[in-house]
Amino acid sequence: MELLTLFFILLIAAGLGLLIQWLPLRRQPMPTYPQRAPFLGGGLPETHAWSRFHVRYYPMTLLLIAFEMEMMFMYPWAVVFVEQGMKAVMEMGMFLAILSVGIVYGWREGVFKWQ
Amino acid sequence: MIVNELILPVILVTIVLVVGAYLVAVIDGMIAAALGTPQRGGAWLAPLTQGAWLLTQQANATEAPDWRAWRLAPALYLALAATGLAVVPFSPTLIPTDLVTSVVLWGSVEALATVVIFLHGWSANTLLALIGAYRYVALGLSYILISMFVLIGVALPAESLQFSQVVASQEGLWNVIRQPLGLPLFLIVGLGMTFWGPFNLADSRDLAGGTASTVSGPSRLVWELARAAMLVAFSGVAASAFLGGWLGPWLPGPLWVMLKMLGVLAVLLLLGRLLPRVQPERCVTLMWVVLLPLSFVDLIWAGVEALL
Repeated sequence: MELLTLFFILLIAAGLGLLIQWLPLRRQPMPTYPQRAPFLGGGLPETHAWSRFHVRYYPMTLLLIAFEMEMMFMYPWAVVFVEQGMKAVMEMGMFLAILSVGIVYGWREGVFKWQ
Repeated sequence: MIVNELILPVILVTIVLVVGAYLVAVIDGMIAAALGTPQRGGAWLAPLTQGAWLLTQQANATEAPDWRAWRLAPALYLALAATGLAVVPFSPTLIPTDLVTSVVLWGSVEALATVVIFLHGWSANTLLALIGAYRYVALGLSYILISMFVLIGVALPAESLQFSQVVASQEGLWNVIRQPLGLPLFLIVGLGMTFWGPFNLADSRDLAGGTASTVSGPSRLVWELARAAMLVAFSGVAASAFLGGWLGPWLPGPLWVMLKMLGVLAVLLLLGRLLPRVQPERCVTLMWVVLLPLSFVDLIWAGVEALL
């Protein structure tokens, strides 16, 4: 029932967001093409917006995946933490320590810089 | 049963979200006026006139946007804000949706916010919007870990991933004192999630508005509304995770939650006005090298404190 309510709230909010846009916009004429040129402070669009970008933080996203996997184990771990006591601390401590070495290595390799 | 479990939650979430978003604009206007930024009109009326203006404005378009995604992105961002607010408990009994895994749900809202904001910049098919979107992804992928470690920290003493249990576990002492690093780190996450103030990398002035640079009219209204609504949802989560939610003397529970949410909002908006914008290329280093280790410290602190 909770999930159903949540889904209902999601749908209503999304519907409201679309309705606020659709109601006033449905009668508006489309702007002319010169007006629809991409906003570049008056400059001419010389490159396509979907031209290839170098995503400089790409290695950082890989590091994130390692941590996100760890997060998956961390949710059930959080629930049994007090029950398991010191054992839980050690296990997650080891896991985090190994991943932290990854951060230090990534830092040395300049993963967190863009330039 | 239908009334209690379906209609009441929807009405509650809608009212808090709409009134909250309006109050965000009012408080921000008041802070701006107090700090010396010239304001048009009174703080109470200005958001309404601006909303009406956007609603009736002739909307511009770009040459070949991804129409469906472009219209959907603001609506989805609003929907995410509503979903996030739906797990905030207002009292032991008044909880829109009392999921057993509400902390996980909030985490997914944070993750999906990154997707939606990228979609907003990508679908416009213009350069500045796309740069804003790419910048935001770098920020979004950096703050999400901090947020998760800090929230796991509050889940440890509660032995549960349910926000109502998290609030109940703060009966003796609020988490803001018990885990002193938690709230400051979480506030940074909040500014990042709504790309507000110092972490406004997606819609920043140096990109002439970033992902919203070509958005005008009703779509822009929904986008701004969704941003403010997300800030409200975030303040609700912060109030229940760190400030003891409905706990407090004399006043009834829901009122305490609202007061704490307003307090968190005021602090966030003040920070947003006072702090300069972080350089995008330094932001990732700051998050991973400084703030993420701090969130480890917070987690260890919370763990040790929970075992003692």
